[in-house]
Amino acid sequence: MAVEVKPKETSEVETEQLATGCEAIAEAIRLADVDVMAAYPIRPYDGVMQAAAKLIANGKMDVEYIVADGEHSQFEIVKHACAVGARVFVGSSGVGWFYAFEAIAVTAGLRLPVVAICGNRALDDPGAFGTEHNDSLAVRDLGWLLPWAETAQEALDLALMAWRVAEDKRVSLPVAIGLDGAFLTHSQHIVKIPTQAAVDKFLPKFDLGDRLLHPDNPITIAPQVDQDWLMEIRRQNDAAMRSALGVIREAHADFKRIFGRGGDSPFLDEYMTDDAEVVVIGQGTLSLPMKVAIRRLRKEQGLRIGLVRLKWFRPFPTEEVVKSLRRFKAVGVIDRDYSFGSPYYGGVLYNEIRSALYSQAKRPVIVGFIAGLGGREIEQPMATEIFEKTMAAAKGDLAAGDTCHWIGVRE
Amino acid sequence: MAEDRSVSIEVVYRGIFQKTLAQRICRSVVLAARKKGHTGTAFARYGDSPERNGVPAKQFAVVAADELELEASMAKYEPSVVDVSIAVDDTLVKGVESWAWYGRQPIWKPVRANGWLLVTSDKKPDEVLAQTDTAERPYTLGIVPGGASFAGLWVYKDDHTDFRVLGALAKILPQWIALDDAKAASLELAKGDRSAVASVQYGYDSTTMRPVKAGEGTSGHEVLQFKKPGWTTMRPGIIVEARKPGERNPYYKKYGARTMRPVVNFDTCIKCTMCWLDCPDECFEVTPEGHYEVVYEACIGCGICAQVCPVKDCIVMVDELKFTDNKDKWQLWKQDRPTYNAWFEDMSGVSADPKRGAAGSVPPNANPAANPTTSAGGDE
Amino acid sequence: MTTEIMPAQNLPQIKGVKDVPYDELFVSGHRTCQGCESALVMRHMVKASGPRTIVLGSTGCMYVANTTYYTTPWVVPWMHTQLGASGSAALGTAAGLKVLMRKGKLKNEKINVIAFCGDGGGADMGIGAISATLTHKDYNCLVLLYDNESYANTDIQLSSQTPYGAVTTFSPSGDKKRLMHTRWKKNVPGMLAAGHPESRYIAAGCAAYAVDLMNKIRKALELGGPTFVHTLDPCPKGWDYHPQYSQELGHLAVETGIWPLYEVMDGVCNLTGPTRQIAEGRKKRKPVYEYLKRQGRFAHFIDEDVEHFQAQVDKMWTDWLIPGVIPFTVPAKDVAILKIDKKAKPLHEEAKTA
Repeated sequence: MAVEVKPKETSEVETEQLATGCEAIAEAIRLADVDVMAAYPIRPYDGVMQAAAKLIANGKMDVEYIVADGEHSQFEIVKHACAVGARVFVGSSGVGWFYAFEAIAVTAGLRLPVVAICGNRALDDPGAFGTEHNDSLAVRDLGWLLPWAETAQEALDLALMAWRVAEDKRVSLPVAIGLDGAFLTHSQHIVKIPTQAAVDKFLPKFDLGDRLLHPDNPITIAPQVDQDWLMEIRRQNDAAMRSALGVIREAHADFKRIFGRGGDSPFLDEYMTDDAEVVVIGQGTLSLPMKVAIRRLRKEQGLRIGLVRLKWFRPFPTEEVVKSLRRFKAVGVIDRDYSFGSPYYGGVLYNEIRSALYSQAKRPVIVGFIAGLGGREIEQPMATEIFEKTMAAAKGDLAAGDTCHWIGVRE
Repeated sequence: MAEDRSVSIEVVYRGIFQKTLAQRICRSVVLAARKKGHTGTAFARYGDSPERNGVPAKQFAVVAADELELEASMAKYEPSVVDVSIAVDDTLVKGVESWAWYGRQPIWKPVRANGWLLVTSDKKPDEVLAQTDTAERPYTLGIVPGGASFAGLWVYKDDHTDFRVLGALAKILPQWIALDDAKAASLELAKGDRSAVASVQYGYDSTTMRPVKAGEGTSGHEVLQFKKPGWTTMRPGIIVEARKPGERNPYYKKYGARTMRPVVNFDTCIKCTMCWLDCPDECFEVTPEGHYEVVYEACIGCGICAQVCPVKDCIVMVDELKFTDNKDKWQLWKQDRPTYNAWFEDMSGVSADPKRGAAGSVPPNANPAANPTTSAGGDE
Repeated sequence: MTTEIMPAQNLPQIKGVKDVPYDELFVSGHRTCQGCESALVMRHMVKASGPRTIVLGSTGCMYVANTTYYTTPWVVPWMHTQLGASGSAALGTAAGLKVLMRKGKLKNEKINVIAFCGDGGGADMGIGAISATLTHKDYNCLVLLYDNESYANTDIQLSSQTPYGAVTTFSPSGDKKRLMHTRWKKNVPGMLAAGHPESRYIAAGCAAYAVDLMNKIRKALELGGPTFVHTLDPCPKGWDYHPQYSQELGHLAVETGIWPLYEVMDGVCNLTGPTRQIAEGRKKRKPVYEYLKRQGRFAHFIDEDVEHFQAQVDKMWTDWLIPGVIPFTVPAKDVAILKIDKKAKPLHEEAKTA
């Protein structure tokens, strides 16, 4: 529950709250004047639904709040509300997200700008409430935009970005924000809450134009097609996803201008990389223990190490990733996910990074790490091991290179 | 694809009603040819599925000298060129419109020059040819005697159409299907019933061949062709414009699905609205005098109107091959009643005189074989 | 606290066939079978609702056949939804319209929301979502289930609505098993009426009784809140009969008592059409054999199959609390506790003595 701290009036535009990532998103829902949301209980995402319910009950926002009979219904409800012009919000976690898979797949196919959070959670069985990214990643090919947040602040900011980018006519694709279960969904941080006036400057009204489903606009949406039509429709999705990169850049620049934060790059968050020989790359809250390790190892051993945190997994910012990573001797890719049977048995991000760098004449050694599955904390000894192995790879120890290491697993 | 290395055969048929028949023909082609050691494949066209009653569909049989030759016909939806096209309902010669944007294609479209078009029919070759699109290249029209064989999904009507067709194929493709092999394959399919063999022989002997030169046929059928748009002009979000009020779907007319069409006796019509009300295809339009006329561009010949009409022989279903256009007819009745009524009587075989009415049950020229029957019970 | 429900349009009851609206909002050029009663239901559905309507169509014949390929027969706005999602599509659409109008983002007006499903998508996969939607009394929407008694679009497989013993591709009749499908048809409209007291209108209809059906649809849209209509649609492809008999088979389904026509409106059950006449004893139920023998999907039936079928239908009429609607009975000694006028004999007893 958000506990209101005495507002510091730190700037003209914002107040502060002590809020979890879920509660921060609920504030974003309020500020975005969402019209319809559908809820269904599953941990750890549903804190956002509980927070939203409180806001509605206390008159802080006017949203049609529908408790669905299951995740499939949940995602179908908002998809159809979106089609008649409502700004929507939805979310799930783990197997709940998978229960909605059919709806998730077609939402992207239909080019409907649904905004969701995925409170990343392990898929059970085996059951755990802790975080893994496979739920979000499972939809990576389907046309959803997939950003990951590091802090509750970023969660709120990404939500506002999400409606802005998703609803942009050049994109018109759904967005699912990855929030690490427990660390982000449930932990309270100081969050700056923008004012309505500022948000209104950033977020235009949702306008489907001639795609609106309404008796004044007679259309048929999604007739049955066959091999004579489907490739053209998919090509349109491809074009939209390509456009998304530029739209994200525009929106990010606007966001910085209005709210005064967001980092230099919309896509990457670099930490101590200026003089680094070796970096690790990952997404979500794993960056936090890694940053602690960087400071410690630099101090203790003088290692020139850094971190690149990937903010948007889809669209994959290939150009930015390549430009950044090719500066280094070695890159340790930390996957808080698994991809059994993949090349070199690496995680999803590992193989994407390798693919992105493949055509570079000069490219770093890439080492893969599987860490933090099921919400296992990435503790400092593990972080040290990750850097040590990556540095070994930088020195030409190939055994540490073309392979993937499971970190912190009991034998 | 050299003619001595493989042969492709298509069966064009009325969806569902002739699905099993088409399957039996295609399979028996492959199995008969197998007896000489040829290999082959039989498949239905995926885009037709799920089939709809009456909507034209296609199945194929490709026989090849060896597996390598057969590969050219694999992983494809349909052969672009066939040696033989078999239409198992003669009304199909008026053209094939299988789904939206498909257009109306001449029955001989995929048939190679000097190939064959076999048609099962009780009519003479020239009657059938008169309703076939003007030939662009020469082919041979073969009439396999017999009316259209219609059945349903669950109960097959075994009237030996498949055996007669196989006999006809043995006549025109002896290098692929020997007559004896056709007989042997048919005997197996018929589970030992020797009358199947006789039917194969009958098809072999009695199929009438009529060579057709380029330029023969009719130009009276509608040209219905489309150019498909590309991804840059298609509306985003999988969206097509709705139909406008009063408009009928221009991309799919569906009249090619009918084997019979209703003719209306406006003199006996009591304007009860039932035909209009109960038509699943919205084929009736009200006239200024309150009659309901059939829009032949939309009618698919289901026969519900004839059944629900409370006036005997006010609506009569008539063999589609008797008609050469899709013009609506009420205007003719309005302007020249005697001519219209004469036309009605000529087509339906029923008197248009309200006082006389039809004493008999089935009009003499409605082909019983063209009436799909049910299974058990059926027309009782 | 009263929640404001936006009523539907002014859709008066249709007095007779001459009163049926003429304009077509579902036009010719859809790739359905000859004699497709489900297509006729679509046509009547939007005739009844009029042009200020949004239709959501779940996967099935009335999606694939109607729009194959990349085309449409719909004049009103239409959107596809997933096989089991008709309940959710109705709910999401209705909720979206409601809030947008309340917030002034859309012009405030009456718009009908109709989501349809087949028996596969509705009675099987999507029953949960439909049930959920029927509890949301604050939203106006109609879920229409068109029942051709199979998963027809995938070439005829059995669903929970397939009649006892019928042949489908999942229940062929063979030498070892004459009947592979021996489950009795799930009673969907009755079940939904019994379980969702806040839904103001739930009905069973048939396109063979077109005016009755259209009036039921209009009532559902007029009363507001979430509503449900279930139509029985003879299907020439799946049932195996000549398409010209589609209307006749619809009549027979009702006249044999196999498919009762009724509505439950604000908690009151009205039988309609021949069903009422049968219940009142003015019309005798035709033997089910007259209906079964016309269809190839029952061609393999032997006497004991027909007898079983007849017995089940008889039970529905002689033993059920409300014939054709609700199956419960009470022991004779407990009849007094039923809230039924003691002076009136139960309908089925009246029928017996008629």
